[in-house]
Amino acid sequence: MPEETLTDQEAYFLERVDRGDRIEADDWMPEDYRQQLVRLIAMHAVSEIMGALPEKEWVPRAPTLYRKLAITAKVQDEVGHGQLLIRVAEDLMRPWGKNREDVMDDLFTGRLKYHNVFHMATPTWADAGVIGWLVDGAAVITQGMSLSCSYAPYARALQRIVEEEGFHIQHGESICMALAEGTPMQRAMLQDALNRWWPALLMFFGPPEKSQLSTHQLRNIRYRIRSKTNEELRQRFFSKYVHRIWSLGLTIPDPTLQQDPFTKEWTYQQPDWDEFRRIVSNHGPRSEARLGLRSTTYQEGEWVRRTIALSPAVG
Amino acid sequence: MEERLDFAVYEVFAQADALSPHVHVFNVLASSPDMAMALAEENFFRRAEFVSLWVVRRDQIHHIGHHDREGFKKTPKAYRTTEDYKYLRDKWRYYRDHPMNPDGSEAEGVTGDAAMDD
Ligand SMILES: [Fe+2]
Ligand SMILES: [Fe+2]
Repeated sequence: MPEETLTDQEAYFLERVDRGDRIEADDWMPEDYRQQLVRLIAMHAVSEIMGALPEKEWVPRAPTLYRKLAITAKVQDEVGHGQLLIRVAEDLMRPWGKNREDVMDDLFTGRLKYHNVFHMATPTWADAGVIGWLVDGAAVITQGMSLSCSYAPYARALQRIVEEEGFHIQHGESICMALAEGTPMQRAMLQDALNRWWPALLMFFGPPEKSQLSTHQLRNIRYRIRSKTNEELRQRFFSKYVHRIWSLGLTIPDPTLQQDPFTKEWTYQQPDWDEFRRIVSNHGPRSEARLGLRSTTYQEGEWVRRTIALSPAVG
Repeated sequence: MEERLDFAVYEVFAQADALSPHVHVFNVLASSPDMAMALAEENFFRRAEFVSLWVVRRDQIHHIGHHDREGFKKTPKAYRTTEDYKYLRDKWRYYRDHPMNPDGSEAEGVTGDAAMDD
């Protein structure tokens, strides 16, 4: 974004952003800003929708009726988050003549990626707990940052979402704590789940920048769409959760993990970033199965959408 | 151009209790007002309660605001508010202790404490 060559409109837009004004859907905005937002929000929307699936697998197998009700509520919330976000994305895509059908198509054809964590398997009940506690915990760190996003409709959606995430995290904490206080077998199950999820949790924030920010990131920071780097967010995650994980007597599967007592900076074993790229390009352990389920359901629901769309229009 | 399904955006407003106004909640995409209300309940009232819910097609809403308001910032209007009348409180307290005579002069020798407190 060479700022010397800005048009008056662009300069005025950036000035609004700089003074902390929030941008609304009908305000003039640079095409580049619109594209960055659609990229981010559509990705977030489909991640919520795909994110309902790993835990959905545990709805029929939840250990008690209370847990079944709670995990059902959580799964329903995640789909609801997808609904909110896809509306925000749709309003931004309107000038392009696009809508949610295009978002879903992009998901099915692999043009639109969803978060790495939702490609992973959930073989035990402890996985459901770890998702709620640590995956939702990681998500709230990112979403908390995005509450200050310059695009008002996204920030408003996030306010509703983050409020419900509070319940998701405690629901996960409660499952994990019950297992940690349980039998040796239950503790082992929890430790196994943590071992499985640890690299995926680190990947969730994206590759570290190492003093070199990508063009996308630089733009998003300039536009106040985001305010922190991947690494800053990951460091927050460590500070918030490492001691809590240890306090349950669990071992984090990274012997190198430690915090510098002076800089407070965490050093850690990098996850395999090539593996990360394979996973998000739909070659993760459960990518195919979950996308298959999602697209079959979408096709099978086609007649429903068609029927209600053809019902007598009012007004 | 391929065929598109005909849905409309509905803005959702909800009233939490009888003394509260309807407040804008969010919006939904729906094929009819009935569908919009069903979706609004599912999406926004899984926990919170409401006494009344409105859905309004977005294209039926007339609106000023956001960029339209640039350059129309209000000048200070303390004279329209109680802001300019704060001095009254101190004056009332003074007259409680020093009541005026019928001719408007100040009463002598009456202490507020004796006169007002019973
Ligand atoms: Fe969510
Ligand atoms: Fe969540």
